[in-house]
Amino acid sequence: MKAKTPMKAITRIVALIVLCIAPLAVKAASPESYRIAVVPKGTSHEFWKSVQAGLVKAQREFAEQGVTVDILWKGPIREDDREQQIQVVENFVARRVDALVLAPLDSRALVRPVELAAQAKIPVVLIDSGLDSDIPISSASTDNYNGGVIAARHLAKLLGGKGKVIMLRDVAGSMSTGLRGDGFADTIAKEFPEIVLLSGDQYGGPTRDTAYRMAQNLLNRYGREVDGVFSVNEPTVVGMLLALRDSGLAGGRVQFVGFDAATPLIEALHAGDIQGLVVQDPLKMGYLGVKSAVAVLRGEAVPQVIDTGCTIVTPENINEPQVDALVHPPLSEYL
Amino acid sequence: MNKILSKFGPFLGLLLVIALFSIPGEVREYFLSVSNFKIILTQTVIVALAALGMTMIIVSGGIDLSAGSVIAFTSVIGALGLKHGWSAWAVVPTVVASGAFLGLLNGSAIAGLRMTPFIITLGMMGIARGAGKWMASNETVNYTNPAINGWMTTADPYDLSMPPGAWVAVALAIATAIFMRRTVFGRQIFAIGSNEATARLCGVNTVVTKALIYTIAGGFFGLAGLMQLARLRQGDPTVAIGVELDIIAAVIIGGASLSGGAGSILGTMIGALIMSVLRNGSQQMGWPTYFQEIMIGVVIIVAVFLDRLRAHKSA
Repeated sequence: MKAKTPMKAITRIVALIVLCIAPLAVKAASPESYRIAVVPKGTSHEFWKSVQAGLVKAQREFAEQGVTVDILWKGPIREDDREQQIQVVENFVARRVDALVLAPLDSRALVRPVELAAQAKIPVVLIDSGLDSDIPISSASTDNYNGGVIAARHLAKLLGGKGKVIMLRDVAGSMSTGLRGDGFADTIAKEFPEIVLLSGDQYGGPTRDTAYRMAQNLLNRYGREVDGVFSVNEPTVVGMLLALRDSGLAGGRVQFVGFDAATPLIEALHAGDIQGLVVQDPLKMGYLGVKSAVAVLRGEAVPQVIDTGCTIVTPENINEPQVDALVHPPLSEYL
Repeated sequence: MNKILSKFGPFLGLLLVIALFSIPGEVREYFLSVSNFKIILTQTVIVALAALGMTMIIVSGGIDLSAGSVIAFTSVIGALGLKHGWSAWAVVPTVVASGAFLGLLNGSAIAGLRMTPFIITLGMMGIARGAGKWMASNETVNYTNPAINGWMTTADPYDLSMPPGAWVAVALAIATAIFMRRTVFGRQIFAIGSNEATARLCGVNTVVTKALIYTIAGGFFGLAGLMQLARLRQGDPTVAIGVELDIIAAVIIGGASLSGGAGSILGTMIGALIMSVLRNGSQQMGWPTYFQEIMIGVVIIVAVFLDRLRAHKSA
């Protein structure tokens, strides 16, 4: 009886060791590798270049751990071309990618292609914008409403709490920029009774050119009485900036707060034509998008909502290192 | 040889494009799959349906630049109907009729006022786009009515079934091909396109015929708008900007002549497929979007150049 017990123990230990090593051996035989499709809203704006840099950052981190992540990066050329973005998603489903990271152009139009991905058992992670659907597992984006609140408070501070302001929105139906506009309008209405929002429902459209034209029209109408302006994203800020310069209202005659950080906007901030920019962290969005997607594929739990945060950049704080990293994302390091 | 080439020219082009994307083994596995071709066909439906109408117009020697705007306008009309709780039985005729109505306006102006189709439909391009935005209160029209949600999608993306919209397109393509070849009205379209004066002298009522051509084509654009609506699940007045050029390109790649009198439905359908396959394939290959645009541009020019060579030889 006694002689058998050590034998049993040894067999148990051997079995245990085999059980522990077996998965490692399997993993060593087929190194972890994922093919992840990333579909931005567009590819021509600097914002999306930063997102792309974030993807590469995550990709490199995984590579150091011996995990291969293939990134397929493709988006529509125009940032309001829902049909083209739908086609891009569909084609990636046909390509049978392992996971999809999507910045939906529209909170409703992209629901059907995301359902298609779900039927194909492809997990979907959102970045930047929301979707009217329960399918996406996680969403890494700016708390856009809060960004609008920050912009409103900064503009109110610049105006000393009273005056007349206008707001230029971008495209109807975009959840992210819509929330910024709402956050701005709500905060002005609630916290600053002496500030009047003259116009808050004009849409500048998808490109700098369309936004420029709309901004010219707005300033033509309200230019004489307006004290402060807020635009909700890169194209509308650029359009408004050009229009302000045209009409001689730039340089602080009208206080201008914008959203997003592109090179011409930072230059304008230095030149004194813009008094504040709410900036997001697109690099972090891309980075976390890939991280979450891989975590989902590994069966790990991921938080449903990740706020990537936003910061107000002013001529005063722009030289602080952490602000500078947001304003000048290290693109050349990654792209 | 020439006859064979002119009949199968576009078809060879399609095979060539498919072969191009089937060469790299890694991509072939996904590209040459039933599920992928299902997606390609579904993505072709909107351009294909509209191109049926556009073929009739171009064969008659005309052009319609308002197709994209009419698609957007009719999709907004459909969305408004669905929002009011209409059933598919009410939405379909209304949307097709609203497209046909805009077509009738085009056709009457072109035939009645004797103005060039380019100018009239350029005007309609703005009118229909603006009217669409107006009807939609300058935003997207969202609804929860699921009446037509399943038309452009199937439950399982990897099975063999086709979405209903694709079947509608195939059926209508066959019907239109027979209509253009075998009916008196169909032959009159070719006659007007070849030589309008001769057609009139031979007793064709060119005014009525032309008005009818644009009306029928408008109906097709309306149907395309309906399919666009089923895809987006929202009425978007900014959808399909520039799609008229895709539609015209499909007709031209398919062997139709912009000066009228020549063209076929089969060719047009293949032309539409060539563009979808190019888009889908270059994405599977990982080519950037701008490269696709350049490719499609080159294909249009090459297709028309080959077509002209052929015409010269046979003449």
